[in-house]
Amino acid sequence: MRKKIIEMRGIVKSYYLGTPNELEILHGIDLDVYEGEFLSIVGASGSGKSTLMNILGALDRPTQGHFFLDQLPMENVKDEGLSKIRNEKIGFVFQTFNLIPRSSALNNVALPMLYGGKSRSVRTKRAKELLELVDMTARSHHRPNELSGGQKQRVAIARAMANDPAIILADEPTGALDTHTGRMVMDIFHRLHQEQGKTIILITHNTELALETERTIRLKDGSIVENKINEKIQLEGSYESA
Amino acid sequence: MNLLENIRLALEGLRANKMRALLTMLGIIIGIASVMAISTLGSAMTGSVSKTMDKIGGKNISVYLTPKNYDSQATLQPEDYITQDELNSFKETYADQIRAISLSSSLGSGKLNSGYVHKDVSVTGANPDYRLVNNINLVQGRFISDRDIQSSRNVIIIDTTLRNNLVGVNGDPTGMDITVETKNTNETYTIIGVYEKVVIDNPLFNMGDDTRIECFIPITTAKALNSQSTAIPGYENFTIMASANTDTTAFAQITKQYFIKNLGALSDYTIEAQSMEAMVSEATSMLSTLSLGISVIAGISLLVGGIGVMNIMLVSVTERTKEIGIRKALGARNSAIRSQFIIEAIIICLIGGIIGVGLGSVLGVLGSSLLKFPTTPPFTPMIIALCFSMGIGVFFGYYPANKAAKLDPIDALRYE
Ligand SMILES: Nc1ncnc2c1ncn2[C@@H]1O[C@H](COP(=O)(O)OP(=O)(O)O)[C@@H](O)[C@H]1O
Ligand SMILES: [Mg+2]
Repeated sequence: MRKKIIEMRGIVKSYYLGTPNELEILHGIDLDVYEGEFLSIVGASGSGKSTLMNILGALDRPTQGHFFLDQLPMENVKDEGLSKIRNEKIGFVFQTFNLIPRSSALNNVALPMLYGGKSRSVRTKRAKELLELVDMTARSHHRPNELSGGQKQRVAIARAMANDPAIILADEPTGALDTHTGRMVMDIFHRLHQEQGKTIILITHNTELALETERTIRLKDGSIVENKINEKIQLEGSYESA
Repeated sequence: MNLLENIRLALEGLRANKMRALLTMLGIIIGIASVMAISTLGSAMTGSVSKTMDKIGGKNISVYLTPKNYDSQATLQPEDYITQDELNSFKETYADQIRAISLSSSLGSGKLNSGYVHKDVSVTGANPDYRLVNNINLVQGRFISDRDIQSSRNVIIIDTTLRNNLVGVNGDPTGMDITVETKNTNETYTIIGVYEKVVIDNPLFNMGDDTRIECFIPITTAKALNSQSTAIPGYENFTIMASANTDTTAFAQITKQYFIKNLGALSDYTIEAQSMEAMVSEATSMLSTLSLGISVIAGISLLVGGIGVMNIMLVSVTERTKEIGIRKALGARNSAIRSQFIIEAIIICLIGGIIGVGLGSVLGVLGSSLLKFPTTPPFTPMIIALCFSMGIGVFFGYYPANKAAKLDPIDALRYE
C-alpha cells in the first residue's frame, strides 16, 4: 500500500469576528492523500479551497481536528517547526506568482535553499538545474517585472521544487494566465508528477484541468461534497501531454 | 540565515531608494560628523597645548604684586617690594620644590648702533635663572653669570637675527662691542652670547607678538641704568620654576601665603601666584565647555536620526508586507526576518556613520588648520563613532524588525 502523505480528520476552521459571531469556514474535513498522487480541489469561489490549502501547507492551523503531514501530528508542532516543515516538505505555487520583486529569477529559486541553510554554491547549482527544468535558463538573471506571466509561474514552480518537497501545493496556478500559457504550466506539473513522482495538489476553477488529474475533490461551502477518481486517467494509465 | 546575503539584500534595497536612504541618513551623518569634527579639533588642541607647555614651561609659577582694589589709587610703597633677601630665604625654605627663580626688569626699547647696523631692540635685565625658566636656547657663547650680576657688568646676549645682521650666519659676535641707546643714554655692551628665539605658534597662548628683538643684560646693570628703579629695593614680580614632581597649583598657594605675610597689613597691594598649569586648564576648560555644547547638539541629532531610521524601517516593513509573507511561506523563520530588517537598519546607520566620519574628519582637519593646530583625525573616535552608529541601527531597527518578524504569514501574503 502507498504511503499516506496527508491525513486529515474532522478539520474545522473558524474565524472569530467579535465574541458572538463565529464564522465557520471549514466544517469537518476528512482527507487522505497518498504519496505520488496528483489531486485536484475544485469548488466555487469562497468555498474554502485556499483556507484548506493554507492548513495543508502549514501556513495556518485548524481550529479543530487532526492533521498528519508525512505521519507527523501537526498540532504538536511549534511555529518555528512549521517554518521548517514549509521549507523542507512543501512547495507553494500561487495564482499571483508571489516572486520577490527585487531578486533575479535565479535568486528567487535559490531562496528556499537559503532558508534551509544550503551553501551558496549548492544553491546556485540547484537553482540553475531547476531553471533548466522549466526552460527558463535564458532568463535566470531577469527580475520578475521583466518576465511574462507564464515565465513568472515557471520560475515560481522551479522555486517550489527547490528543496525537493514532499508535496507541491498549487492554488489556482493558471488563474492569471491565458489558455496557452496555462497549458504550458499544466504540462510542467504533469512532468513533475510523472518523471519525479511528486505529490501535487492543484486547486483550480477549471473543471477541464481538474479532469487531467488522478482524483478530484469538490468543496461546497466548506464541506467535501464529491471525491471522484477520474476514470479516463485510470484507464489510460497516465495523461499524455500534448 | 546568511549574514552576507542579508547585507546584499539591504544594499539592494538602499540602491532602489537612494534619495530616501540619503535623507534617512542625514540625521546620523550630521550627528556623527559633528562628534568627529569635535574630537579631531579636541585632539589637535590637547596635542598643541602639551607641546606648547613644554616650550613655555609647564612647571612655572608666576608671582606678582597686584592692587587689592582696582578702583582705588593704589601705589606701591617701598616696603611692599619683594627683596632679594626675602627671595633667598624663600628659596632655602622650599629648596626641594624650587628649581629656579627668574627675575627680570625691563629697560624698555632702545636703538642699537654698530657700524652700519641700526636696529630697534628691547632690553631686558635678567638673572642667571631666567635662562632656564624661560627656556632660552643659547646657540653661541654664554648666558648672564652670578659674577656679571655682582659686578653689574655691561654684557649683552643678542638673538640670532641680530647676529646675522652684525656678523652673518656663520660669524661669531662674542667679544664684540655694541652701543645701545636706552632712556636717552648710550651704553656700550660686550656681546657674550647668542640665543635663538622660540616661536610659539599657538593661538591659545598668544602672548602679544613682540616683533622687536629682545636683548638680555644683567638685571643689576639694568637697574643701575634705570633712574626709576634704582631707588626701588626689590621686585614686583618673578617666576618660579618648580621641580619636576611638585604640584604647581598647590605650591602656588604656598608661595602666595609665604609672601602675603611679608606685606604690611595696610598695604594697598596683595600677592598673586598663578601656575601655568592652572592657566592652561582654565583655557582648556573653556574648550571642553564648548565641545560639551556641540556634543549635546550631536546627541540630539543622533537621536532624531535614529528616530528617522526607525520611521523609514516601519515604512519599509509595511511596503514589504507581502514579501515578508512570501518569505515565511518559503520557510523563513521569524528570526531570519528579524535579522534581515535589523541588518538593513544597521547598514543604513553604518553608511551614514561612514559618511559622517569622513565629513567630520575633513571639517575637523580644516578647522584645526584654520586655527593653526594642524592634525590628522584621531583613530579611536573614528572606531567609536562607527560602532555607535551601528548601535543606533540595532536600537532603532529592533522594533520595526520585530514587527516584521511577528506578522502572520497568511495576513502578510493576502496584503495588497
Ligand atoms: N481572515 C479571515 N477572516 C474572516 N473570513 C475569512 C478570512 N479568510 C477567509 N475568510 C472567508 O473564508 C471563506 C473561504 O475563503 P477562501 O478559502 O479564500 O475561498 P476560495 O479560495 O475557495 O475562494 C470566504 O468566505 C472568506 O471570506
Ligand atoms: Mg482562493
